[in-house]
Amino acid sequence: MRLLRLGLALAGLALGVVAYRVQIDNLGPFTSSERAAAIVGVAWAFLLAGLAAWSRRPANRVGPLLAAAGFALLLRQLRYSHDPAAFTAFFAVSELSYALVAHSVLAYPTGRVTDRAERALVRIGYAATLVFPITILLFYDGSQRLRFFDPPPRESLILVAGNGDAAVLIQKAFVVFVWGVLATLFIALLARKLVRATPRGRRILAPLLLAGVAVALRAVFEGIFTFVDRPSVIVYDYLFWWQIAAFVALPLALFAGLLRAHLARATVGDLLLELERTPPQGLRDALARVLGDPTLEIVFWLPERGEFVDGLGQTATLPRDATDRAVTRLEHDGVPVAALVHDPSLLEEPRLVRAVGAAARLAIENARLHADMRAQLGKVQESRVRLVDAADGERRRIERDLHDGAQQRLVALALQLRSAQRQLGAARDPDIDRLLAATVVELQEAVEELRELARGVHPAILTEEGLAAALETLTSRTPLPVSLDVSEERLPAQVEATAYFVACEGLANIVKHARATNATIRAWRRNGMFVIEVEDDGLGGADADNGSGLRGLADRVEALGGRFVVESPERGGTRIAGEIPCGS
Amino acid sequence: MCDDLRVALTVLVIDDHPIFRASVGRLLEVDGFRVVGEAANGQSGLRLARELEPDLVLLDVGLPDVSGFEVAERLVGTRTRVVLISSRAQRDLGRRVHETGAIGFISKDQLSGEAILDLIARAA
Repeated sequence: MRLLRLGLALAGLALGVVAYRVQIDNLGPFTSSERAAAIVGVAWAFLLAGLAAWSRRPANRVGPLLAAAGFALLLRQLRYSHDPAAFTAFFAVSELSYALVAHSVLAYPTGRVTDRAERALVRIGYAATLVFPITILLFYDGSQRLRFFDPPPRESLILVAGNGDAAVLIQKAFVVFVWGVLATLFIALLARKLVRATPRGRRILAPLLLAGVAVALRAVFEGIFTFVDRPSVIVYDYLFWWQIAAFVALPLALFAGLLRAHLARATVGDLLLELERTPPQGLRDALARVLGDPTLEIVFWLPERGEFVDGLGQTATLPRDATDRAVTRLEHDGVPVAALVHDPSLLEEPRLVRAVGAAARLAIENARLHADMRAQLGKVQESRVRLVDAADGERRRIERDLHDGAQQRLVALALQLRSAQRQLGAARDPDIDRLLAATVVELQEAVEELRELARGVHPAILTEEGLAAALETLTSRTPLPVSLDVSEERLPAQVEATAYFVACEGLANIVKHARATNATIRAWRRNGMFVIEVEDDGLGGADADNGSGLRGLADRVEALGGRFVVESPERGGTRIAGEIPCGS
Repeated sequence: MCDDLRVALTVLVIDDHPIFRASVGRLLEVDGFRVVGEAANGQSGLRLARELEPDLVLLDVGLPDVSGFEVAERLVGTRTRVVLISSRAQRDLGRRVHETGAIGFISKDQLSGEAILDLIARAA
């Protein structure tokens, strides 16, 4: 195969020299050495890019198609020959080159034209570029000058009915149909392909933009040459050289596009070095860069859980439909390790994905362990939240039980004793009366103590009226002026309860230890956090790690994913603050 | 004056604790009130209040179906005066205790005919 390609390359180079000479020798003053050389240059660009692509990606048809287009473009120049056989043969196939160019572009990057409309356009293109020139040859008798030809007539060996006007008319019909209708459809299909592509796919399809420009320039050039009697030399020149530039760049861009996966594979070595100093959370970005897919996601298989998780340890579901997202599973010794969820266009480059997966195996394994740890930490965190919830629920239950049980019985007892006092009336024994009165007072004190206990366990007003009302009640019982600035909004019960206990413990500490003259409680929502802050102007010197009260509060706030801060410089007052996640 | 009022006053007790209803009923009867009905929840309390049109409703703040505050608000505009009661202290109930149209609040352990009449006299 290598010899074949080498042979074709040498044949193409030789043919280019021949094509150049034929054009110079036969068109005389109607061409120039620069133009002849430029056309050969375009053909060689297709030929060499095609052969190189064929060599690098033998299974992809784009390479052979580009090479064929290059040969066809060279053979096209041989039609200028005055030799009847050469003229007839090469004129008949002269336009086939553009059908091959269109076919190469539409087959890019997979090598296959799978879309029905694109397939139809390719077929019609081949048919039109063969049928029209052959039909012209059936009528061409030399009486009219052919497009792009010098005045001396050529001889068609397949002339059937000499009619120069018919030949010219068919030429015009050819330009209208191929360079008007088919070229427009071609550009429209390219645009559709680009619009439908994913972001990564669009980058791969970038050469199609160049193809669209090249074909559009050629179409205008053909139109002017066919339908304008005396086109401006300057316009003609500009169009000629611009289209030459576009047609030289096109095969090179297609070749570069096909080689992209190879180049990316070459960077896999760099990836190894990069991953050595990449933390697990940077793995995705590194792989996304090498694979050229910013949408890439990595999910990790956790055998103990029997599911995929993301980098944060959250359960991840793999997409089933490969239209929008595709999945490549990474395994080691047949055991699943991770899966890449990526742009479907990467399915065309399985070797690249496999190479990246293999190079990043250790880093992926490391990130998997990291994700596993995050998952377990997540479970611990969830369990801490559940513990806080359960404890709060239990506190509410105890408060309710106290209220509905012992408190009601004591209250009823007090009322019954009061009834007894009344019923004894004026005849009552003063000693018994004093005893009853004292018992009622005792009962009332017992009720008050129970209330105090219930408040400490869980104040009912917190559940019923919210944090602001509960703190108002709390501060009304505090033997210290406390200014309150608390948001009135209702928040999740665990957030309200945690904020309340922060304030409660803070005030209790102030009263017990701070020797403060004033205190302030502020509570507000900020960036998805609910912040509760208790501040005093007392002695300071409080230590969060010394004593179970503040430590317990810190545990409680942190259990909800929040942050607890104590600032208490000696003689500088104390500020305790809890930041509790509360949603947006 | 107090004695005259006491004779005229009919009372409906709305509270979900049977033991309390029984005790307070006895105390109020002893203190000269006439307990015309009892209800264990807000809905039946409201219905009885409309049917019986008592002079006074002793209304527990914490009822199982609707809040006592809401029941009090729905009785505003009727001839019935509402006294809110709870085994919790007034300061544990927040501002709403003052915003319902009730003539006042008595902690359950402090309940007595005198306490009620005192509230009525202050509201008059």
